[in-house]
Amino acid sequence: MQSGLAVKAARIAIVVALFAIWEILSRTGIVNPRLLPSASDTLSTLGELLQRASVRKDLAVTATEVVTAFALAVPVGALIGFLIAENRYFAEVAKPLLFFAFSIPKSIFLPMFILVFGVGFSQKVGFGFFSTIFIVIMSTTTAVESVKVEHLTVARSYGATPVQTAFRVYLPSMLPVLLEALRISMIFNLTGVILAEMYASRDGIGHQIATWGENFQMKQLLAGVVMIAAIAIAFNELVRWVETRCSHWRT
Amino acid sequence: MQPLANITPLKPAGAIEVRNVGQIFKTTTQDVVALEDVSLDVRPGRFVVLVGPSGCGKSTLLMMMAGLRQQTSGTITISGAPIPEPDPNRVGVVFQEASLFPWLTAEENVEFPLALRGVTKSDRRARAQDALKLVGLDGFGKRHPHELSGGMKQRVSIARGLVQDPPVLLMDEPFAALDEQTRMTMGDELLRIWAATGKTVVFVTHSLTEAVYLADEVIVMSPRPGRIVDHLQVPLPRPRTYEMLSGDAFGSLRDRIWRHIRKSA
Repeated sequence: MQSGLAVKAARIAIVVALFAIWEILSRTGIVNPRLLPSASDTLSTLGELLQRASVRKDLAVTATEVVTAFALAVPVGALIGFLIAENRYFAEVAKPLLFFAFSIPKSIFLPMFILVFGVGFSQKVGFGFFSTIFIVIMSTTTAVESVKVEHLTVARSYGATPVQTAFRVYLPSMLPVLLEALRISMIFNLTGVILAEMYASRDGIGHQIATWGENFQMKQLLAGVVMIAAIAIAFNELVRWVETRCSHWRT
Repeated sequence: MQPLANITPLKPAGAIEVRNVGQIFKTTTQDVVALEDVSLDVRPGRFVVLVGPSGCGKSTLLMMMAGLRQQTSGTITISGAPIPEPDPNRVGVVFQEASLFPWLTAEENVEFPLALRGVTKSDRRARAQDALKLVGLDGFGKRHPHELSGGMKQRVSIARGLVQDPPVLLMDEPFAALDEQTRMTMGDELLRIWAATGKTVVFVTHSLTEAVYLADEVIVMSPRPGRIVDHLQVPLPRPRTYEMLSGDAFGSLRDRIWRHIRKSA
């Protein structure tokens, strides 16, 4: 694993180097520090922001929206994906259509969501849901297709009931693909909600970031970027960790 | 009247009776006759091998004996009763390679049929241990399938088929994916397990050598429509040994089967 360690060291070195370059560019004035505040200033602003009640409230608002949209999109999308994959005719009819829908940039529908839902909680959740559900449906169909016919025959030959087959064959077969889907869905979900907040909102961290940008508050803006990036990476890594634990048998 | 059923004399456990069985697959363009008028009796404790070219319906016949598929006509009884759906108490099935669940350990795979029926954890574990010991995998229970060799995986499959102690074991080309050496070893192992348990075994294979080496009786089938074209007794003594493979008796039996298969090819 010595090479693994070397790889990790190289990764850390790259991140540190990026922050160092950022710091130098700003400190030496190669880039106007008003346009690019230094890394250290940005991080200390981040610390400051996290102390602020208003920022915490914005984070809480965004988190609620993200979690709600996710909690709706994942089960609904998984159910639709499952039904499509289980029915051959359905799968044949619906799959290309899903790909069409998936290829359309979701952001162009945002004005419609504002018209329908107004500016508020349901607009963000609705748009987050809409941004996420297609990838969940498509991933679930892939997951169902990863279940091996041989395994289903084995279960049947030992008298498994449909419920037993679902929990003892389908679920474990699908789990690695589903976890990966969960991870990727969250990226889409987070993007959707924050975009909706930046576009039209009264609260939420996306709204804050947009406002800081408009007011040329670069320190706050960059601190917000670093904050969101850190949160997204943390979630992604958490699911990836679960993934490797659940799919150790995948070779 | 229901009570009449009780008067029917029960066939001994492990007997298989196939009567005038036919199977027709309906496709959109035509009906394909996969099996036609197949009749066969397997006495309890016998080792019977089904051979025949690809598409002769031997695996289909086996799946019908397992209750995994229903015949279009005729009847099949296992231990005296029809088998409209899989019944793990009467029949254990060993499939081709890759039928183990990769997310379960060897012993969890063996316990799977018991877990479906709600057998307690400790009871399950004990019976899985016994089955694994029987197939020569004592001490390998905690490994996952990807940590086992091809031969070991099929041993786990056999243990899974035996764990509920059914009188009949159906095997669908279980060693087809193994290399020649492992295949011979597994044949000997299977014969040892068979002798120790006294199960009725129906074994499907492509290999004529494997057929003669393992069987008490060899059933030769023709390609579509699948029919029985020969039913040979194998008079070679047991235990079977590697030396028998080069003997005259072995050779003439294999030739006889080959002539049937060549004719239909």
